[in-house]
Amino acid sequence: MEKIDKHEYQKRLDRISEIFSGMMQRADELATQRCLYKNRFDQCTAKFGCRNQSKPAVEGDLFHCVGDDKLDYRSAWDT
Amino acid sequence: MASINDISNEFVRNEIDEYIKEPDEREGLIATYAAISSRMQSIGAALVDGQNKTVDALTVEALADGVPALEIMDDGLIAAMRIVGIKFRENFIYVPEVLSCARAMKAGMAHIEPILSASGIKPLAKVVMGTVKGDLHDIGKNLCIMMLRGTGFEVIDLGVDTSADEFLAAVEEHEARLMGMSALLTTTMPNMAVTIEAFIDEGIRDDVKIMVGGAPVSQEFADDMGADGYGKDAMECVALAKRLVKEDAAQEG
Repeated sequence: MEKIDKHEYQKRLDRISEIFSGMMQRADELATQRCLYKNRFDQCTAKFGCRNQSKPAVEGDLFHCVGDDKLDYRSAWDT
Repeated sequence: MASINDISNEFVRNEIDEYIKEPDEREGLIATYAAISSRMQSIGAALVDGQNKTVDALTVEALADGVPALEIMDDGLIAAMRIVGIKFRENFIYVPEVLSCARAMKAGMAHIEPILSASGIKPLAKVVMGTVKGDLHDIGKNLCIMMLRGTGFEVIDLGVDTSADEFLAAVEEHEARLMGMSALLTTTMPNMAVTIEAFIDEGIRDDVKIMVGGAPVSQEFADDMGADGYGKDAMECVALAKRLVKEDAAQEG
């Protein structure tokens, strides 16, 4: 089996961390504007109920999100 | 200078053409992908598309054919994650898609881990992570896990609605020295304290450092329930995990 140099591996981890850190900052900003469970097709990926979930046109599809993101979407989540 | 037509994989070519608009980033990615083998481009395409099974299969094949693990990381996984990062920043994709891509990356890394282990490279620590009993809100936990894995931690993800017994069993089974609990609801937050109590009752509280987080959780609440640390987001979670690992090593030493 090949051997991996620890320092070379660490360089890769550092690059991954840098990319991911940028993503986390973006996720923090985004959380104030858009529900984080909503995907790019405006479908809900949450495992819990939410008043903004609307039945999908095709059975088995993800719920459609009808939230407008103008108000704090978290109050719509089932608690 | 490389041109976009020098990229053999149609999916990657289209992704860069359609979504990467900033000139420096576009030129950089075109130069990178023009120099990458078509096989690594295929891994990258599958990752950007969030296809974890494809990344898994292509990584296995590449390693079996003698492609070095670091080449797979560089050209197959990390280069593709740069595209994902830019698409996310520019609102072409959102957190659910990013998490799918991160899962695809993990599928590839899973086959590199045995090589790391054989090379004497250990994870920073094993971390058991879960959302507490009664709580199904997992996106914060999932972002923490993505960040922890990207930093070099091995993470055992217990998912949502995790009972104290499940946390206990996972920590014992994996001999984890670090554990993270998340809760989004004020009604489920007390289950963090219940879980910590279970570790005390079992006599293994001192064997594991416990981190807590989630929207309603605060440093004060973490202190009151006897957690070892609180992180308000994924970045703090990683910083806290690193600090607790150091403390644990110092106590062991």
